[in-house]
Amino acid sequence: MWDIIAVDISGRHRIKDGYYMVCAAAALKISASHIEKIKQVKIQPRWLQEAPRLVDIVQLIEDTVAQIEFKGTIVTEKGDMYNEPQWVPDSMFTLAFKYQESIGERRAIELAHHISLSTRNLLLTELNIEAGQ
Amino acid sequence: MGEIAQTRFPDRRYQLGRGKVEELAELVEITGAEKVIFYNKLSTTQIYNISELCRCRVIDKFQLILEIFAKRATTHRSKLQVELAKLKYELPRARAVVSILKKEEKPGFMGLGGYEDSYEQDLKKRITRIKSELETAEKDDESLRVYRHRQGLSLISLAGYTNAGKSTLFNTLVDEESEAMNMLFTTLVPMTRALDLGGRKALLTDTVGFIEELPHWMVDAFKSTLDGIFLSDIILLVADVSEKPEIIHQKLATCHDTLWDRINGVPVITVLNKTDRLDPEELETRLEQIKYLAPNPILVSAKNGTGIPELKAEIFRHLPPWKTCSLTLPNSPEGMSALSWLYEEGIVHNVDYGEIISVEYEARASIIRRAMNLEQDLAE
Repeated sequence: MWDIIAVDISGRHRIKDGYYMVCAAAALKISASHIEKIKQVKIQPRWLQEAPRLVDIVQLIEDTVAQIEFKGTIVTEKGDMYNEPQWVPDSMFTLAFKYQESIGERRAIELAHHISLSTRNLLLTELNIEAGQ
Repeated sequence: MGEIAQTRFPDRRYQLGRGKVEELAELVEITGAEKVIFYNKLSTTQIYNISELCRCRVIDKFQLILEIFAKRATTHRSKLQVELAKLKYELPRARAVVSILKKEEKPGFMGLGGYEDSYEQDLKKRITRIKSELETAEKDDESLRVYRHRQGLSLISLAGYTNAGKSTLFNTLVDEESEAMNMLFTTLVPMTRALDLGGRKALLTDTVGFIEELPHWMVDAFKSTLDGIFLSDIILLVADVSEKPEIIHQKLATCHDTLWDRINGVPVITVLNKTDRLDPEELETRLEQIKYLAPNPILVSAKNGTGIPELKAEIFRHLPPWKTCSLTLPNSPEGMSALSWLYEEGIVHNVDYGEIISVEYEARASIIRRAMNLEQDLAE
């Protein structure tokens, strides 16, 4: 079993006056093919006027993960890091980082994705912003 | 014959730089090569431009896969699947291909006339026709799958990267001689055989191998074949453990990528094959290096049979659970006939013949229910 922090960001496209992003981080224990335990989940909203750069994404992930009490390797989808080779984001993070590979990691990212997406939808509803704007 | 590589950004016209393509053309002339194969995906214009310079056939990795598939396709269904994959590959290129071929024949500015539309429409019609034929086959498959489940047969699939030794393992497990060779995509048509696992009956299916970056159009074309894997009760993910750790890692990651969102929590057993090529210490290190991507790992050598009993035990452990019960039947012709039915449907652990027949029995829940009703009927 391995300790990981699965991270996903929703809202990296412009609506209305900027980028309404939500980052979700879930501390989990996983096996190669399953999520064995969900230990903690944290979310972090962020608004940016300009399109997020890789450094902004890394900063948002680090800020979200800083709220997590458990240790683990940060795991993300390659697309979240603009499909950069592993060494590029790896050199920017202060914590251990890797891209998703196993079925267990992919299920973990799927969980984080649903959390970030539903949180963002709630946020947009509360702020009276339509996603299509 | 030869290999050429360039590290700089791809050139839009040639994929490689012009100088490198000229170098390639020289190499083709010297070696007399009949075909140039690119690992990267090529656009129609790139294929045209490179073949103009090299004066031989130019294909990319996907066309090569299609050529191998076409060679291996023997049944009507696999031929349809290969044709569908070819058409799907051709469709986005159809306009450009016709544009290049008919450039001088067409009316209008820049020769953008009406030939492209009709060719594209023709391709689309053929795709629709093949899809509907394959859908009919899928429905037949689905009803067969439901029937097999109802008969209490568990479905097990062999999955894995191409050339991992799936067919050899299949032969060892079912003790049969299907075609197994050291080449890519030997198995294009899924093959199913019965497997006895200590009284539990299962059906083992050998399937087509996965490959890295398998494009969506190809996954779609082979959907009915891949569905066999996704809808099984247990998946045996086969990997060649004798390869370098980084290669195994990359191939297993590709398999996980293909499987993960389609298998709905089905147990995966990683069969690390070809252990006969490594010594025990190397095996231990290798296992440690790849266990992150190897759920329920079992070390086997399909070639000499090492680890096969352990693999069968692991499969048995993951089979859908059966229930046990104690039954009493009258020692009469009716009772004996009921007992023979019990033998057919499940595992009889113990039988005592006296005035009555006492049976320790294990089977799936629906059979246990029917057996208990039968016990009551015979007692009355």
